[in-house]
Amino acid sequence: MIQTIRVRTNKNPTARVYRLEGITEKQAKILAEKLFRENVNQTYTINKPIFPNAIEIAYKMGVMNPEVASIIKAARDLKVNLIACDSSREYLNKAPIFNPLTEHIVKKEPTTLLIKEKAGKTAVIPIREMGDKELLSLSKDKLFLNLDEMKTIQKYFQKIRRDPTDLELETLAQTWSEHCAHKTFKAKLIIDGKSKAPLIERIKKEALKHKKNVVSAFVDNAGVMDFYDGWAINGKAETHNAPSAIEPYGGAMTGSGGVFRDVVATGQGAKCVVSTDIFCLAPPGMDKNKLPSGTLPPDYILKRVVSAVRDYGNRVGIPTNNGSFHFHEDFRAKPIVLVGSYGILPKTKAKKGKPKVGDVGVVIGGRIGRDGIHGATFSSGEMSERTMKVNATAVQIGNAIEEKRVFDAILEARDQDLIRAVQDLGAGGFSSAIGEMGEKTGVAVHLEKAPLKYQGLSPWEIWVSESQERMLIILPPKNLKKFLEICKKYNVEATEIVEFDGSRKLQVYFNKKQVGDLEMTFLHGGLPQRVMRATYVKVTSPSRLHLNIPKTKKRWINHLEKILSHGNINSKEPILRMYDHNVQGTNALHPFTGVGMDGPNDAAVIRPLLDKPYGLVVAHGLNPVFTMMDPYWGSIWAGAEAISNYVAVGGDYKNASLINNYIWPFPDEEWLGKLDRCVDAVCNFMKALKIPVISGKDSLSATYRGSNGFVLHSPPTLCISAFGRIPDVRKTVSSDLKNIGSTIVLVGQEAHLRGEAKTLPGSHLGGVPRVDLKMLPRVLEKMHKAIISGKVLACHDVSEGGLIITIFEMCVGGNCGVEIKVDGKRLLSETAGCFIVEVENEKMAKRLFKGIPYKILGKTIKDEKLIVEDLFTADVNKLQKAWQKPMKEVFG
Amino acid sequence: MAEANEGGFWMKKPNVCILQSDGTNCDVELHYVFKKFGGNPQFVRVNELRDNPKILKDFHILALPGGFSYGDDVASGKIWAVELVSFLREEIENFRKKGGLIIGICNGFQVLIRTGLLPFGNLGKMDATLVPNDSGHFECRWVDLKSERSKCAFLKSNYDVGHFAVNHGEGKLFCNTETLEKIEAQNLVVFRYVDENGSPTQKYPQNPNGSLNAIAGITDPSGRILGLMPHPEKFVDITQYPNWRRDPPTGRQGKIIKPHGAFIFEEMINYVKENLW
Repeated sequence: MIQTIRVRTNKNPTARVYRLEGITEKQAKILAEKLFRENVNQTYTINKPIFPNAIEIAYKMGVMNPEVASIIKAARDLKVNLIACDSSREYLNKAPIFNPLTEHIVKKEPTTLLIKEKAGKTAVIPIREMGDKELLSLSKDKLFLNLDEMKTIQKYFQKIRRDPTDLELETLAQTWSEHCAHKTFKAKLIIDGKSKAPLIERIKKEALKHKKNVVSAFVDNAGVMDFYDGWAINGKAETHNAPSAIEPYGGAMTGSGGVFRDVVATGQGAKCVVSTDIFCLAPPGMDKNKLPSGTLPPDYILKRVVSAVRDYGNRVGIPTNNGSFHFHEDFRAKPIVLVGSYGILPKTKAKKGKPKVGDVGVVIGGRIGRDGIHGATFSSGEMSERTMKVNATAVQIGNAIEEKRVFDAILEARDQDLIRAVQDLGAGGFSSAIGEMGEKTGVAVHLEKAPLKYQGLSPWEIWVSESQERMLIILPPKNLKKFLEICKKYNVEATEIVEFDGSRKLQVYFNKKQVGDLEMTFLHGGLPQRVMRATYVKVTSPSRLHLNIPKTKKRWINHLEKILSHGNINSKEPILRMYDHNVQGTNALHPFTGVGMDGPNDAAVIRPLLDKPYGLVVAHGLNPVFTMMDPYWGSIWAGAEAISNYVAVGGDYKNASLINNYIWPFPDEEWLGKLDRCVDAVCNFMKALKIPVISGKDSLSATYRGSNGFVLHSPPTLCISAFGRIPDVRKTVSSDLKNIGSTIVLVGQEAHLRGEAKTLPGSHLGGVPRVDLKMLPRVLEKMHKAIISGKVLACHDVSEGGLIITIFEMCVGGNCGVEIKVDGKRLLSETAGCFIVEVENEKMAKRLFKGIPYKILGKTIKDEKLIVEDLFTADVNKLQKAWQKPMKEVFG
Repeated sequence: MAEANEGGFWMKKPNVCILQSDGTNCDVELHYVFKKFGGNPQFVRVNELRDNPKILKDFHILALPGGFSYGDDVASGKIWAVELVSFLREEIENFRKKGGLIIGICNGFQVLIRTGLLPFGNLGKMDATLVPNDSGHFECRWVDLKSERSKCAFLKSNYDVGHFAVNHGEGKLFCNTETLEKIEAQNLVVFRYVDENGSPTQKYPQNPNGSLNAIAGITDPSGRILGLMPHPEKFVDITQYPNWRRDPPTGRQGKIIKPHGAFIFEEMINYVKENLW
């Protein structure tokens, strides 16, 4: 019997619906009055409608509703025991837009909330007898392996003279997926007939030349570098594009959740202290007819990813201090959702211990459901209109509080020295995490012990489920009791399911029956190295520059307003005001500062140890349009932009580390050739600056294929994130202009005038501005010294839109204006690695920047005007309106 | 009891219970603040208190930090309030009788309201509520607050306007007219949102949630419970304020010379030292 309580506030015409199973109406009344209804402003009904003709929207059965656990707990605290419950919302007249993948309109009252299914059996797949066609059809939509790989598996089972179980095949598919195995990055390359070392080897080789600050790189879930006083900091950035394309809210939430867990699951556990969010989307309001079938409207995606960051990051309590948006119509099928996360941990606990024979593995956190099955393999495949139908289980909703209590428990266990290693249960679920951690010793896993959300899962489903908010903790058996006590204190469910047994095999049992038995050497070493061919396509730079320089004052102002309202450039303040950036109390440079707290800054600076002045600086750079135009120089630009953002706030680039994320169309010969150029750029960038990449990820599936032959590649994108340490956050600077009558200086080497605001619709394409890598470190060094001397009043890096936009944003923060003399072309230059700096006077500029390229542009003035001699005078407040309007319209 | 050598003689430090639940996330900074201003803070998980309720009496101050207790499911702070009222009613009553101080910040304030402790000290009966912001979403911004002469027993200084961080989605104080009049008549309002002239305001975003009478924080008739939506613990060091580079915290007429959140914790500690030993 289900009791249904409906509660409405007297203000807005919606009602909350609570369905409670296994209790009497009298008990329902207790819950209504003590838990669900507030007598100050709400009314309720039991088992009766509260509005006539209401429309109810609920999660579909089996989709995680994070509220359920809290309701069951609170009811229990009130001495009412629920068997099951659900919550949903009712609307009067009109329902809001919802995603039919996860939600539905309730047409008929449910009679039970329990999912009752018989547990599925383990199947044996007769792979030994299959021909090529059958192998491929087995792989399609499920295993996502190619024929070579399928044949390798077939040979193995022919050799051991048996057929695999479904669980074994799934294990191989997960472990060998592009997502987990990075087959392209590890492949031998043949480019235009010449062989070249694998991409990952080249990155590692260069990175390891610059390891003075590195604690660990490329071996753990996040890269770790030295901090101060025995502490280390770690960082990771990861995309969650495929799930976000079909369910942006759940996709972006679980994207945040996953990368937070990567940071926490570093060494023996880290504390997550800051996060960044980078989105590449189709512009809101684009022509709906251009949307391929099976894709969602851009406005909906934009709003939902923002809500997800808000609802997940804010709840876990990790400040979101930095991020960016990049709009291009070609992101309409596969958007980019890239979350970065950074943490702090004791240096002595920064490396994972190696599991020893006799150790145990405990799974903690959320329960397992069918959600997230095939996430790793699915995200490795291209997207098509079938994706939404076939792979809906790859999508889930996150439960931030589950994640938070798991983190709290881990940090206490770490501080009590109980943990050998922490591993995230992310892509591939148990299959990947246990398979990886048990590589050297071998493991026995008892799957029937795994806590489930509902009955009916087959062993292979339990094994590969990517249900969120779970971690695997490996510890010596003597610490188990203490560890379980800590979990209890934090309301964290913990189950011992793994034994590190010395067998060197992956042995999986379900109710004493063996359902998997694979040799670790085959699982981890059996995947054949790919040999991949690539070809370079010559980048065609325009022979003549078509610079679209406005000719009249009026055109200048129109042009500026157009640039300022463009999605990449307009003010994201309404979004940032929904992300908590104060939580943890560590913020030392807010995303917006200035008189009206509306001038944007370049990077995040936080003080992760509250009683110390030490700073963690986090910045990033990317430009999908530039990497699309020129994969080499576009990638150099991304790196220069990241490190310039980093230095502009007071970061010391010599004590920074980099994270590289590649989001690329499916690597056919041409796209692989471009990717190779991109990796060359990353290596040359490290070499020029003498700093390492210490973490990263690739996602090579940014291609959509429609049934009618329509193919859409998302713009290839390299994102470079920079993070590092500074000894004192008081020696940092914000972008808002501070004084009247001070001097405005352009610092840095401008590229030949290739760049202007190319991303604008209708403007002519120039080439990508080529950053001078020889000059860049000299400029960064001087800039840093100038800032720590305390003589720089304000600083802002030149980026998209050109230097006039940089100056405009500084005026917004300072509620003042400038009077400058610059030629028109230069005003629109987008060279990364250049800075606009406010100093007291020209003498000071000379003192600070002698020896590197710099140019005095003019002075700050009280009048809120941009006065560019001989060209135009523009009203800062008017431009500001154009700059702020677009996102205000979307987010209110 | 922790002791420290301050000012050349041995002084006791007030014990502060930083209570945590699942989803509490402003606990570390609150711990830091009490330590900074001479308290002896300890983290206590609510399960530890349920297992051993007696430990509450060892504390002088009970502090409920911000966060999203149990996800703020059903309503903000609701699940935690139900838990406290169900299991710790007696201990909380005894703690109050003994003269202990209670502070709830943001989610902690939402919990105090939903336990009924604020505004009128009616544990188990809600008289007012905190509803979703008028803007309809979470607000992360800095606002100006004015502290008033109120019943609050431990805030004695007459401070003027200060800058405070707000980070919440459900912060609008709401109740019926009669209750509102009672709150005002009993001088329970401690903080109000003010505009650029220092006057209480209903204007967004200076009043970030649309709170009735611009109320940001209140006390109970005993004056020993304080709840507020803004976060004083997030402005006790200069660099926490967004504009510390251009506008160091000196306040109007130079009255406030410290980071603006500091006085609340200092005066709580002083009150305990003067009254509870």
